[in-house]
Amino acid sequence: MNRRKFLSYCLKGGVSMAALTQLQLQAFQGSLSYEFDDHKALVCVFLYGGNDSLNMLVPIEGEARALYEASRQNLAVSNPLSLSPITAIDGGVGLHPSMSAIQPVFESQNLAFISGVGSLVVPTSKADYDNEAVPLPKHLFSHNDQQATWMHGREKISLNSGWGARLLERIEQGGAFVNNISLAGTNPWQTSANLTPFSLHQSGVSRINPINGTSNRATHVRDIMTRVLSQSTHPLASTYGTKVQSAITNTEAMNSAIESSIDLSSYFSDSSLSQQLHTVAKSISVRQTLNAKRQIYFVSMGGFDTHDNQLTTHPALLGALSQSLAEFNTAMSAIEASNDVTLFTMSDFGRTLTSNGDGTDHGWAGNQIVMGGAVNGGEIYGSLMTQHLDGPNDTRGGRLIPQVANEQYFSSMAQWFGLANSELVDLFPNLTNFDTHSLSFMNI
Amino acid sequence: MLKKNTLIFFFAVMLSGCGGGSSESADTQSVPESNSSDASGSSDDSGSSDDSDSNDNSGSNDNSGSNDDSAEEEPSPPDISTSVSSDTYQAGEKVSFSVNLSEQDAKTSTIEWQQLSGPTIEITTDLTVEFSIDENVSALDEHYHFIVTVTNEAGLSSQEEIKFSVIKAMSEQQSARLLHQATLGPTYDEIQTATGKSYEQWLDEQIQLPITYHSPLVENYPDRDEPSQINRIDAWWKASLNANDQLRQRVAFALSEIFVVSDLNTSLSGEPEGMAAYYDLLLEHAFANYRDLLEQVTLSPIMGVYLSHLGNEKADVERNIRPDENYAREVMQLFTIGLNELNLNGTNKLDENDEVIATYGQQEIEGFARVFTGWTFAYSARWNRPSRNYTLPMHAFDDYHSSAEKVLLNGEVIPENTNAEQSLAIALDNLFNHDNVAPFISKQLIQRLITSNPSPGYVERVAAVFNDNGDGIRGDLAATVKAIYLDNEARGLETPLAHFGKIKEPLLKTVQFWRVYNTKSLTNRYFTWNLPTTYGQGPLQSPSVFNFFRPDFQPGELVDTELLAPELQIANDAALIGIVNTHYADLVWRVAERHDELNENSLYLYMQDDHELINMNGLSAVLDKYDILFFAGNMSEEMRQALIDMDEFFATRDSYQRISNLVYLISISPEFTLQQ
Repeated sequence: MNRRKFLSYCLKGGVSMAALTQLQLQAFQGSLSYEFDDHKALVCVFLYGGNDSLNMLVPIEGEARALYEASRQNLAVSNPLSLSPITAIDGGVGLHPSMSAIQPVFESQNLAFISGVGSLVVPTSKADYDNEAVPLPKHLFSHNDQQATWMHGREKISLNSGWGARLLERIEQGGAFVNNISLAGTNPWQTSANLTPFSLHQSGVSRINPINGTSNRATHVRDIMTRVLSQSTHPLASTYGTKVQSAITNTEAMNSAIESSIDLSSYFSDSSLSQQLHTVAKSISVRQTLNAKRQIYFVSMGGFDTHDNQLTTHPALLGALSQSLAEFNTAMSAIEASNDVTLFTMSDFGRTLTSNGDGTDHGWAGNQIVMGGAVNGGEIYGSLMTQHLDGPNDTRGGRLIPQVANEQYFSSMAQWFGLANSELVDLFPNLTNFDTHSLSFMNI
Repeated sequence: MLKKNTLIFFFAVMLSGCGGGSSESADTQSVPESNSSDASGSSDDSGSSDDSDSNDNSGSNDNSGSNDDSAEEEPSPPDISTSVSSDTYQAGEKVSFSVNLSEQDAKTSTIEWQQLSGPTIEITTDLTVEFSIDENVSALDEHYHFIVTVTNEAGLSSQEEIKFSVIKAMSEQQSARLLHQATLGPTYDEIQTATGKSYEQWLDEQIQLPITYHSPLVENYPDRDEPSQINRIDAWWKASLNANDQLRQRVAFALSEIFVVSDLNTSLSGEPEGMAAYYDLLLEHAFANYRDLLEQVTLSPIMGVYLSHLGNEKADVERNIRPDENYAREVMQLFTIGLNELNLNGTNKLDENDEVIATYGQQEIEGFARVFTGWTFAYSARWNRPSRNYTLPMHAFDDYHSSAEKVLLNGEVIPENTNAEQSLAIALDNLFNHDNVAPFISKQLIQRLITSNPSPGYVERVAAVFNDNGDGIRGDLAATVKAIYLDNEARGLETPLAHFGKIKEPLLKTVQFWRVYNTKSLTNRYFTWNLPTTYGQGPLQSPSVFNFFRPDFQPGELVDTELLAPELQIANDAALIGIVNTHYADLVWRVAERHDELNENSLYLYMQDDHELINMNGLSAVLDKYDILFFAGNMSEEMRQALIDMDEFFATRDSYQRISNLVYLISISPEFTLQQ
C-alpha cells in the first residue's frame, strides 16, 4: 500500500483529512515507495523492570573473571554454560546456567547477543559523562522514562511515537491492524499519531458474547451498540467509543482467521510469556489468510526489577525467558517461518555491578537477545563489556556506559524488515551521531 | 475574623420616601448596643486615624463619649432593630433584610452597613437590603454577617448585627453528579438521601463518618486457619459495596493508585492481612495530614518489602554493597515531587533554554537511599531475626543505619552520625516541604476523582489549599479533598470546559452495578479471582509501582490535542472485549431472579426493584430513574432513544430481560463511561 492508498484507507476508516496534521502527513512522506510480496515479522519481548542482563553473559576465567567476581561479589554467577561464539573472546564467555534452553539455539546459530547496548544520544566516554560534556538521555535510571526511550527509539519530543509504529508507517504498512499486534496491551513502541496496536487476547480467539451469532437478538443488540458507541461528541468519551467499536470489528476479523490456525499448543508451556508467544505463533501461522506482509508483535515479561532476592528471582526469570524463546524457535521452524520472523529483547536498562545486599539497582548498559533464522547467530555483537567496578566505563556504583546505542541495534532490524538504508536516519535521528548506523547481526 | 474583602457601606438617609414598612417582623431580640464611639460618622473605622481631624463630629472620639454628654438634655442613641426574612436561604432565593428605626431617626440619621463575612454584596438601598443568590457562582455554602450602624444628629450610634446563611442545597441531579465523583458508584437511595443537602454538608458528613476498615472484614479462607489473598479481595468488595463512608473509600482507592503497592505476582500475595492493613492506613489518613500519610506509607512493612527498603543496610565497602536505591527513587518520582520542577498550577517550570528542570539527581538518590537504611519489621529480636510482622510500622536498628552524611533536596544535608529515626524525620520533612508536593499530589487526586485534564487554575486553587488550609497548616488532606470537590470547575459552574471529566475506571463501573443491584452470593463471599485480567486493574494489584495507568497517558486518538486520558491506557482491544463480556455476564446472565436455582458460591445481581418499576410505571419511569442513577441527569436524547429502541425487541419478553438489556447497553455506552 503506498502513501496515497494509506491516506485513502484513513478516509475510509473514518479518519478525516482534517484530523491529520501537517506533521503527521510528513510522517508518510518517505521519498521511497514500498511494496512487499513476502512476509516478515518482528517480535519484541520487553523485559519490564530492567533485566540484570550483564549477568546473562559472564566471563569464565582469567582477569575478566577476577574483575567480575571482585565487582559482583555475592551476586556473581558461578558455573556458567560455556559458549563458543564465532569470534573467540579472551577469558571465554558463559551463559547464565538457568538459560540452558537457548544454548543450543545459540550454538545452531539461530540466536545472537548484542552486548554493551543502552540508550545513548552520542558516543559517551566516562570523561564526557563526568564533565557533562555531551547530551545524555533524559532521566537515566528511571523505569518509565527509560522504557519509553527504548520504545521510542529516540529522545523525547513533543509528538513522540514508537519506533515500531514509525517503521510500519515508513514502509507503508501501517494501514492494516493485523500488522501491529500486542499481546501485552498498550505500549509506546507500537503507538504513533495514527497507529495503536491491536491488542490480541492471549487465547487468540475471544468471542463477544452479547453479539455472538446471527440471531435476531444478536443482530438487534449489535445495531444498537454500534449506534451508541458512535454517539458521544466529548473527546474522551468518543475516543472510548471508537476504541470499543474498533475492538469489536478487529477482534471478529481476527477470530475468524485464527479459528482456522493449526494447533501449536504442544510446542508451548504454561508460563505467561510462553502463552503470549503461542498466540503470536498462531497468528503468524495464518499470515496468508490475514494477507499480512510486515508485522510487528509485542509481548512482555515482568519482574526484572530485582532490588532484592536476586539470587532466587533472577535465575527463575532467566530460566522462564530462555524456555519460552526456545519453544518459540521450535514453533517457528514447525510452521516454516523461521527465516521470516525475528524475535528480540528490550529492557528498561541494565543493572548495577554493585549489590545493595541481596539485589541490584538501576543501571545503564546491558545485553540483549536476538533470535530467528535471519539472525547471523552464534555470535556476540557490540561490545562484551568488562564487568569492572570503578573501571573505565563505570559512571559510579557499577552503572556502565553503553558502548552501542540501542538505536544502532534497532536500525539493524529495521534494515532487515525492509527499510531502505537511506531512511534509517529518518527513523532513528541519533544515528547521525554514530559512525556505524547498524550492526551486522542480521542476514540481509 | 474579618475577611479581607469586608466593605463598608455608608448612606446618608434622606427624608423622603423611606420604605421602612417592608420589613415583616421586628427583631424583638435586638437591644441597642452601647454606642461605639469610633464608628461615629466615619466611613473608615478600620484602623485609619488619619481622617480623624477632618471629622465634623465634636470630639467624642476618645475615651467614653457618653459621659461627656451626661449633663446635657439627654440625647439618646437611635432606637433600632433589624429583621431578616429567614435564617437560611436556598440558592436562587431572594434574601431580604432591613434595619428598622423611627420615622424621626430615619430623617436625621446616617446608616452604615458593614459586611463581616460572606461573598461581597453591593448594597444599593438603605433601610432594606435585597439581593438574590446566583446558584451558579459557587458551590460553597455562604455565611453572611452584617453590622448596621445608625448614627443620629447628636452623633450617637446604635449597632445591630444580622446573620444568615445561604445553603447550596443539591438538586437530585446535582447530588447524583457529586456522588458519581465522590463515591465508588452511587445507589439510587444514596442520591435521594443526599438531595436537599448542600455540597459542603454532604462532604462534611462523609468526612466525619466512622471509618470502615478492611482488616476486620478479612476472613480466613474456608476450612483454613488463615486468610488467603482472595480473602482480602473479598474484604475490599464488602467494604466498597456496603460502607457508608463512601467518600473515604473513594479517596483511599485513589491514594492506592498513587502510593502503589501490589500483591500481583509478588511475595506479598502471601500477606493478605498486611495488605489489608496497608489499605487501612490509606483509609485512616485519607482526611488526615499528608506528612503523616507519607510517614506511615514509608514505614509500612508492606511498602518496605514492595520497594525493598525493609532490611536495607548501610554500605559495606569491602563487599561492594551500598544502600538499596529503590524506595529513594520512587518516593521522589511517584509519591511526592515527580521528576520535574513544577509551578503551583502543575505545569512544568522551564529554565532559560525552555527545558524542564530536574528535581533531583543521583546524589540525592544516594542521600535518600542512606536515609532508608536500618529499618525492618517491628518487634524483630535482632536485625537478622525479622519478626515478619506485616501490619505494624517498621522499627529501626541504628547499627544498620548509614551514619554517613545524606544529601537531600534543595541542598539540605543530614550531618554524619544522625540516627535512623531522626534522619527519617528530617528527610520526610525535606520532601514534604518541597514546592512540588502540592501541585504534584493535588493534580493527581483531581485526575483520579474529577477530571483528566484540569485547568491550571483548578490545580493551583487546590494546591494552594494543600499548602495552607486557611489555618496555616500544610498537607491537610480533608481540606484538599473538599477543595477538589467544591471547586467551580468540579461543579460545572461558570463556563464548563468542553473536555471536562474522565473515563471511569473499569472496576468502578462494576462496583456501581453491584452496589445498585445488591450483588451477593448465598455464602456472602466475593471470590473474584483474576481481577487484573478481567478489568486491567484490581485493588492493590498493579503490575508495577507505576500503577495501572500513568497520569500523563495520551491515547493515539487524542495525539492532536493537549488532552490526556489516563484510564484509556488499560482500554486495549482485548481488555475492552473482556469488559463488554463481563458486563453482559453480570447484567444479563447473573440476575438472580432469572434463575430457578442459585449456585451458592456464585455472585448474583438482584433487579427486583426495577422489574417492579417497569411493570408498574413503564419504560419511561425506568429511564427517568436511570437518567439520574447512571448519567447524573445528563442522559442525552440520543441515548434515551437508543434505550427505547433496545427495549423494543425485548418488550414482549419478561421484564427482567428488559431491565438486563437496558442496563447492559448503558454499561458499554460512552455517556455512562464518562464521569462528568
